[in-house]
Amino acid sequence: MGFDVGVITKHAPALLDGALVTIQITILAFILGYAIGILMAVAALLPGRLPKIVVAAYVGTFRSVPFIITLFVIYYGLPFADIRLPAFMVGVVALAVFSGAYYTEIIRAAVQAVPRGQFDSARAVGMTYPQAMRHVIGPQVVRSVIPASTNTTLSMMKESAVLSSITIGELTYQGLIVQGETFAPFEVFAAVAVLYWTIAIAIAAAARWVEIRAGRAETKAVLRSRVAARYLSLDWRVRR
Amino acid sequence: MDFDIDLFLQALPILARAVLLNLQLAAAIIVLAVLAATVLTLVRAAKWPPVSLVIDLLISMVRGTPLLIQIFICYYGLPAIGLNLSPIAAGILAISANSMIFLSEAMRGGLGGIEPGQVEAATALGLPSRAIWLRVVLPQLFTRILPILTAELTIVVKATALLSVITVVEVLRTAQQMSAATYRPFEHLLAAAVVFLVANLAIGAAGRVLEARLAAGRA
Repeated sequence: MGFDVGVITKHAPALLDGALVTIQITILAFILGYAIGILMAVAALLPGRLPKIVVAAYVGTFRSVPFIITLFVIYYGLPFADIRLPAFMVGVVALAVFSGAYYTEIIRAAVQAVPRGQFDSARAVGMTYPQAMRHVIGPQVVRSVIPASTNTTLSMMKESAVLSSITIGELTYQGLIVQGETFAPFEVFAAVAVLYWTIAIAIAAAARWVEIRAGRAETKAVLRSRVAARYLSLDWRVRR
Repeated sequence: MDFDIDLFLQALPILARAVLLNLQLAAAIIVLAVLAATVLTLVRAAKWPPVSLVIDLLISMVRGTPLLIQIFICYYGLPAIGLNLSPIAAGILAISANSMIFLSEAMRGGLGGIEPGQVEAATALGLPSRAIWLRVVLPQLFTRILPILTAELTIVVKATALLSVITVVEVLRTAQQMSAATYRPFEHLLAAAVVFLVANLAIGAAGRVLEARLAAGRA
């Protein structure tokens, strides 16, 4: 039995539709998940014990339980709270809450990695708290957060395959349907794998672009100041 | 709808028994994955261009596709090319292949942290390359990647829940069967979540103890 390309070309529209849904879900879950991650990381950095315990419990729980079980618990649990959402929204929320746990840790670690002295110095030269965050801490956090966030986002995109089990019409779900119609599992899942792979490569490329831009913004900030540029820039073009 | 606490409590011991299968599978998978990742790392270290190209492509592909699809390919796809595997065998194959790739990448990172001078010294002393790998590089590599290994073990334990979709009767499948019998999915799935939570927190704690021991042993 050979590899039947006809199966793939014939059902390509269905699979591409699924890929589009996977991309939509990934983008929505990324935005929501990152918002959760920022909120939780800020909470973890608050003074006092209680917020730290709450955040640690959130992160520990969602990182220890398989996503497929988290998904089912949320899917079957929401009606208990009298919340009824379409499956698509349940999937996005579950994915966001799940990846949010990872984003929280990434952001918290990045903020804590900035030496405390930098914040104190910023305050000492007269910056307000928001100014210190915006001009001193923020840019460093953004830069160091990108690689780990990219990995988490890639994992999250791949984890979205599990949403097929609550009948969301994403890529894996479409693959299973086409497989059921054609009985050509090898061809269908190979095509599905290639589509996921393409999405993963696109995410990685986008992350590199953001990384370069974040780096450039930082260089610009250095170049804006003549004094800083003289000491901090190794770029020969700024010598003046 | 009210939460049925009795149903939840009754499910816990049953699922705690079922999780033994997940843990056995995970143990088998992590052993296979570590062995395979070590071999893969050695092959990559040889730097034969065509082989490296194929391995890089394989790594990119495994890292770019969902584990669920890899499980489907092993279980539904391989029979099409004449390789029939039982659900458990297909699951072990898929997850250990996936884990092997991630561990091999971790090992590559770990290799970068080993002092080059040690390998130079070993070469200068006339150690054959087998001895350099076995006695100088690999022992340090494994202590270095121990935190990653414990993290990977919890990832593998979580991954075994996916085998429920190819009919392996582990925790999730057991919970689903009990849900189907009682029409109460939430209580049973929440119990399944608790079982996984406890199992993985225990693994994490054990890993930290082991790391502390090793760190103390080196000091």
